[in-house]
Amino acid sequence: MQILEIFSSKLPVGEDLVIKKSRFEANSNLQNSKRISIVSGIHGDELEGQYVTYLLAAWLKANPDTLRGTIDIYPGINALGIDSITRGFPLYEVDLNRVFPGGEDEFLPGQLVHALALDVKGSDIAIDIHSSNIFLREIPQIRINKEFSNATLPLAKELNCDFIWIHDAITVLEATFSHTLNTMGTKTLVVEMGVGMRLTQEYGLQLLKGILNLMQKEGIIQTQEVFEVREPFSSEVGDVYYLNSPCSGLFVAALSHCDVIKKDDKIGDIVNPLNGEIFETMYAPHDGILFTLREYPVVYEGSLIARIFGGNDAEN
Amino acid sequence: MQKIEIIKITSLNREPLVVEGYFFQGSDPKAPSVAIVGAMEGKTILPLYTASKLVDFLQNSLSDSKKILGNILIIPSINHYALNINERFWPLDKTNLNMMFPGYDKGETTQRITKKVFDAIQGYTHGVILETRDDLSTCMPYVKEFKSGFEDLEDAKKFGLKIIHYKDLKPTDTVSLQYNWQLWETKAHSIVCPSTTELQVDSDEIFEALVNFLNKNNILQHKFLGGYESTIITNEDMLIVKTPNSGIFVPIKKIGTQVKENEVIGQIIHALEGKVVHKIIAPCNGVITCSYKNALIFENAVAFRIAKNS
Repeated sequence: MQILEIFSSKLPVGEDLVIKKSRFEANSNLQNSKRISIVSGIHGDELEGQYVTYLLAAWLKANPDTLRGTIDIYPGINALGIDSITRGFPLYEVDLNRVFPGGEDEFLPGQLVHALALDVKGSDIAIDIHSSNIFLREIPQIRINKEFSNATLPLAKELNCDFIWIHDAITVLEATFSHTLNTMGTKTLVVEMGVGMRLTQEYGLQLLKGILNLMQKEGIIQTQEVFEVREPFSSEVGDVYYLNSPCSGLFVAALSHCDVIKKDDKIGDIVNPLNGEIFETMYAPHDGILFTLREYPVVYEGSLIARIFGGNDAEN
Repeated sequence: MQKIEIIKITSLNREPLVVEGYFFQGSDPKAPSVAIVGAMEGKTILPLYTASKLVDFLQNSLSDSKKILGNILIIPSINHYALNINERFWPLDKTNLNMMFPGYDKGETTQRITKKVFDAIQGYTHGVILETRDDLSTCMPYVKEFKSGFEDLEDAKKFGLKIIHYKDLKPTDTVSLQYNWQLWETKAHSIVCPSTTELQVDSDEIFEALVNFLNKNNILQHKFLGGYESTIITNEDMLIVKTPNSGIFVPIKKIGTQVKENEVIGQIIHALEGKVVHKIIAPCNGVITCSYKNALIFENAVAFRIAKNS
C-alpha cells in the first residue's frame, strides 16, 4: 500500500492542507487490470464513508494476495470541513459537490475538486459515499442519474444496498463529482446511507460487503470468499412519496428506524414544547418502505420528514 | 405605498419570519414596472441598505408621488433570520436561497420561500437583484449578466455603473433568481455589491444607480447626476492575479484604482515570521475591480482581478 498526496496547499498560518489517498495494487503488472476509486468526505459533516474506507483498507491489508487491480481510497476530501464539523468548505461556505469540475485557476475549493477529478479520472469505476446530512437518516441506497444508468445500474446492483434510486438529469447536478466523472468516462455511483456526523456500523459492514462483491465481479480482487448480496428494490418499479412538515415545531418520530410500513401508519408528531400541544400528527400516505426518516428534530414548514418508496398504483 | 405580506413562516423558537414587499403604485398604467429584491443572504449590508434607502426615498423624498410612473415593488430582505444572527445562508440547513429558484410550493422550506417570492415578482417588466460575490473577495459595484440567451445588455447599461460583467452560465446558475426571472420574461439583472459589513462614504452609489435605472426606463421621473457609460467585460478582458504564497495579505492598491503594469499592488507577509514573502505585481495596465477581502490568504488564491485597459 502507498499513501499518496493528491493535493496540497499551504494555509496562511503554519499548516498545510493535504488531501491523501491510499493505493492498493497487485504486486505484478496484470494486463487489462481495472482500477476502482472509493471517495468519501466531500461533505464535511458526513462520516459514514470514512468508516467504510477504514473497513476496506483493513480488509485489503489483511488480504494482499487477492489484489488483481488497483484500488484508490480517498477518505476525506473536505479535510478542513470534516475536522471542524462543517458541511461545506470552511470560510468559502461552498458545497464542494457543486463546484466540479473546478480548475487550476479557481478559488481553493475549485482547485481541490479539480485535483480530485483529475486523480480519479481514468478509473474504471468510482464510488462516492455520502451519509445523507445531519437532518435525515437514510437506508443504504444508490443514487443514479438516468443519463448514465445504462452503464451504472448493473454495477449498483452488486453493492449490497437496499434501494436504487434513478433520478432525472438536472442541470444543477452537472457540478457534482459523479456527473463530472461519468462524463469523463468513469462509471460513477453515489451511495447515500446513515446520517451525518455519526457512524452506523451495520451499514458500513453492509456496504463493505457490496464493494468487495463488486470488485470480485469486476476482477479487481480474486478470492474464494463468497459475498452474498441483497437484491435492491429500484425506483424503476415504483414511486417515491415525499412527506414534508406542514408546520414548524419539534418532530418526534413514532418509528425507531426505516422499515416496511402501511398506509396510515403513524410516522410521528410535530409538537409544541412551549404548551404541550401536538401541532400535527403525520401518517404514511402509502404502503411502502420508509427509506428516509427525519433525524434532526427541529423542523420548519417544508422540512423533509420522510420518503417512502411504494408501488406505483396510487397518485403521488 | 402599500405593504404586501409575501411570506409568513413560523419557527420553533423564534418569532415568525414575515417578509414584506413595499409596493408603489405607478401613476401611468402604461409605464413599465420593476421589482427589486434585496438581501437574500446575511453577512453583508449593502443589498439591505440600498433597498431600504430606496423605499424611504420613494415614500418621503419625492415632491409628488405622481413622479412614480410605473409600479415598483421592493423586497428589502428575504432572509431576516440569517441577517439577525450574522449567518450567510438559511440558518437551519445552510441552503442558499439564490440557488433555490424558481422554488416549489410542496418542497423544502427554502424552496417554499423562493416560490412565494418568485410568485410575488412575476410579471414585472424589469427585475433587479442586489447581491454580493460568492467568493472571499469584494469588488467595485457592477452589473452581473449571464449569457443565458435571455439577457438584455442595453437595459443593463441604464444603471450607469462602470462595469457589466457578461459571464458564461454555469450549471449552478440555472437555479438562480436572475436566470429563472429572465426565463419568465422579466428583464432581470444582478447588481453585485461590495461585500462590506460596514457602510462607507460611497455606499449610496448603488442606490443612485437604481434611481437612474428607474428614470431611464420611464418608471420614475427623478434622476441623480449621470452615471458612467458602462463597459461590457467578459472573462477575456480580465486578468486574475494570484498569490503563490499564503500568509497575511496586505493590499497596497484599492479597488477602483488604475494601476500600471509591473507596479506593486500588494504584499504577502509570512504569518509567523513577519517577512515579505511575495510582492504582488500588476500584470497589465488596468483597473482593480476585485480584491481578496480577508487578511489571511490561501496559497494560489486570487488576490486581485484587474480589468485590462483597452
